[in-house]
Amino acid sequence: MQDEHAYDGRGDAKDREILALLKDLPVPPAAAGFYDRALGRAVLEGRRRQRRRWIYSGFGAAVAAGLAAWVAIGLLWTVPNPGAPDAHIPGVTIALEQPRTVNLVFSSATPLDDASLTVTLPDGVELAGFPGQRVITWETSLKAGRNLLPLTLIAVSPAGGELLARLEHDRRDRSFRLHVAVSEDPPGAS
Amino acid sequence: MPGYTLGPMRQGDDSQIFERLLQPHLDRLYRLAWRLAGEKAAAEDLFQELLVKVFGKLDQLVAIEEPGPWLGRVMYNLFIDERRRFARQRLHMVGEGALAGDGLAGLPGPDDPVAERGLAERRERLGDALERLSDEHRVVVLLHDAEGYKLNEIQDLMGTPVGTLKSRLHRARARLRELLEADGTFS
Repeated sequence: MQDEHAYDGRGDAKDREILALLKDLPVPPAAAGFYDRALGRAVLEGRRRQRRRWIYSGFGAAVAAGLAAWVAIGLLWTVPNPGAPDAHIPGVTIALEQPRTVNLVFSSATPLDDASLTVTLPDGVELAGFPGQRVITWETSLKAGRNLLPLTLIAVSPAGGELLARLEHDRRDRSFRLHVAVSEDPPGAS
Repeated sequence: MPGYTLGPMRQGDDSQIFERLLQPHLDRLYRLAWRLAGEKAAAEDLFQELLVKVFGKLDQLVAIEEPGPWLGRVMYNLFIDERRRFARQRLHMVGEGALAGDGLAGLPGPDDPVAERGLAERRERLGDALERLSDEHRVVVLLHDAEGYKLNEIQDLMGTPVGTLKSRLHRARARLRELLEADGTFS
């Protein structure tokens, strides 16, 4: 191809050497079994994302979540959020590198359209499907009553910390904190 | 089950269909992920995210006669979205001072002077120089010169006209040479 040798219009020995270096720039092969694992994870995560949405009116549809912690959040819009530490921060313990679904239950007295939910994760805790992301935001709507958001957490380090869920609607917001402890014991040992 | 959109003919075997359609493209996609992301962990994340995304578009994938270019384009768009998402964070994390001077190339090398002059050293310096290109220039030069993509294939992948790609390729190569000459790789 003509443009392969047109480095800066000169195409001299240096250009050819750079081109040779580029052609030989290695891409390490994928680790053994990586493709199979990635395909398997994609199927599981893809199915989970297809299911993932606000599940309205109660808990029935979330029974399949298995190991799930239920955390209720009341939305009392008439009370301004003072930003002060809560008297009681609920907590959940997850095992290192073992996915665990935490179901956040949002109770709202009225329907809320065009709300925004932002989850901020502690260091070393990831949301399945969002590797390396500390802050994830969704646009959503809530119905009156209880609304469920399942979050599958994966601890990649034993540090743990606080998960912050912030729901915003019509210039009002409500923050909720969840303490995430990480156990290095295998699941079921604690 | 709420949220499922697959038709009755495909229920139960969507994972096999998915794997069968993807399998012929995995090596090329992995290499593309590596070229875009530049390092193993990020490349694996990008590759994984692509597969998850494509699984959600299985109906679309099934209907495509030649899925290779489409898969590449989806991966490129994921890469760009991710770069945009983290742009602000990256600015906070990397101060301008950290980018000044010779960067990694200025750090003391290995004691063995022979190894220092070896191919690995040149590759490392090339890698450093590539890192200093803009995403647009780096991706074009890597896909074209390292991976052997044709410009029309890159056009399909990036959605950028061939004329613009030629210009970027020319500038990227010139900048690479300039950087490699400046750091003494080609004196």
